[in-house]
Amino acid sequence: MKRVILSLALFTSSLFAHSAIMSCFDNGDGSITCEGGFSDGSSASGVNFKVEQNGKTIFEAKMSEDSEVTFKKPSSQYSAVFDAGEGHQVYVKGSDITE
Amino acid sequence: MKKMILKTVAVTALLSSSAYAHFQMVYTPQTALTKGQTIEFKHIFTHPFSDEHTMDMAGVEEFFVINKEEKTDLKDTLKSITFKGSSNSGKAYESSYKARKMGDHLFVMTPTPYYEKNEDAYIQQITKTVVNVAGAPSDWDAELGLKAEIVPLTKPYAIWEHGSFTGIVKSNGTVVPFAEIEVEYLNRDVDMKNNQMGKSKVEAPQDSFVTMTIKANKDGEFTFAIPKAGFWAFCALGVGSVKEYKGKELSQDAVIWVEAKAMK
Repeated sequence: MKRVILSLALFTSSLFAHSAIMSCFDNGDGSITCEGGFSDGSSASGVNFKVEQNGKTIFEAKMSEDSEVTFKKPSSQYSAVFDAGEGHQVYVKGSDITE
Repeated sequence: MKKMILKTVAVTALLSSSAYAHFQMVYTPQTALTKGQTIEFKHIFTHPFSDEHTMDMAGVEEFFVINKEEKTDLKDTLKSITFKGSSNSGKAYESSYKARKMGDHLFVMTPTPYYEKNEDAYIQQITKTVVNVAGAPSDWDAELGLKAEIVPLTKPYAIWEHGSFTGIVKSNGTVVPFAEIEVEYLNRDVDMKNNQMGKSKVEAPQDSFVTMTIKANKDGEFTFAIPKAGFWAFCALGVGSVKEYKGKELSQDAVIWVEAKAMK
């Protein structure tokens, strides 16, 4: 039981004491890859990810084992959103994503 | 008497080595990148503070990068260039790398030993440079078990001006107590386009400020307070396990570059 509490505490600290980070790049083949992570180096595997366009979610996924998501490049303006919970959302504008 | 002579010889050797403080550069202008991008490197063997002589690199034995524990050989990306220092030009290399993935890209270069005529000995500086993409750490503190290695305890790309850098000197994974470490400031802007050094930025009041010599403690650990933003290099002298090359003495050194940013 003690161990459970300890691991919970660690989990909490990794979620709240560290900032969420995302970096995206254009694969040059019509797809975009976004990679999520945390400032303490912990994995973003399983963290929610979405693509928004005009306030609507057009794509949703969870970060892979490698903390990555690859999606089809939307035709007009969009934002990639790494959603690690309240206060831990990272928005990257499509126009800032380059090859 | 014999001992005395030996001591004198050793002291002279040390003196001359500090008078010619060589540093292998694996240089890219920005080590903390906000997002993935293609980065350019210059690989120059020089004296970063005084820029008194640019050595002709003898070649490269190994050049690779590690990102998220994955090693990629980059030796084929090296291209020969001539780099112009303020007093002469020397053989150097340049390379280009797509730093796309988030996290740390830990670059390691092992040059072919360089023959230093003044010392009738060879120098080989196994050099580390760490570039980070987007602020998520991954491999910066990796211990690679190199023949000569400085393992950082401070992220080499995340140091504020007036901050400090701490590292541990190792050889094949074993600490080197009381290792002698030379420290130099890159006192020039590197003109990446024209392959030449710019004007010097600061003046040293005396020679001991050009190449600063510090020592590691009994655990091979050292800390250096960084007085100015820019690039700083640390070189642990002769700590490598290989002591001879082509029948002559070899100084196998460990170099690491760090970059401090101004607070503004």
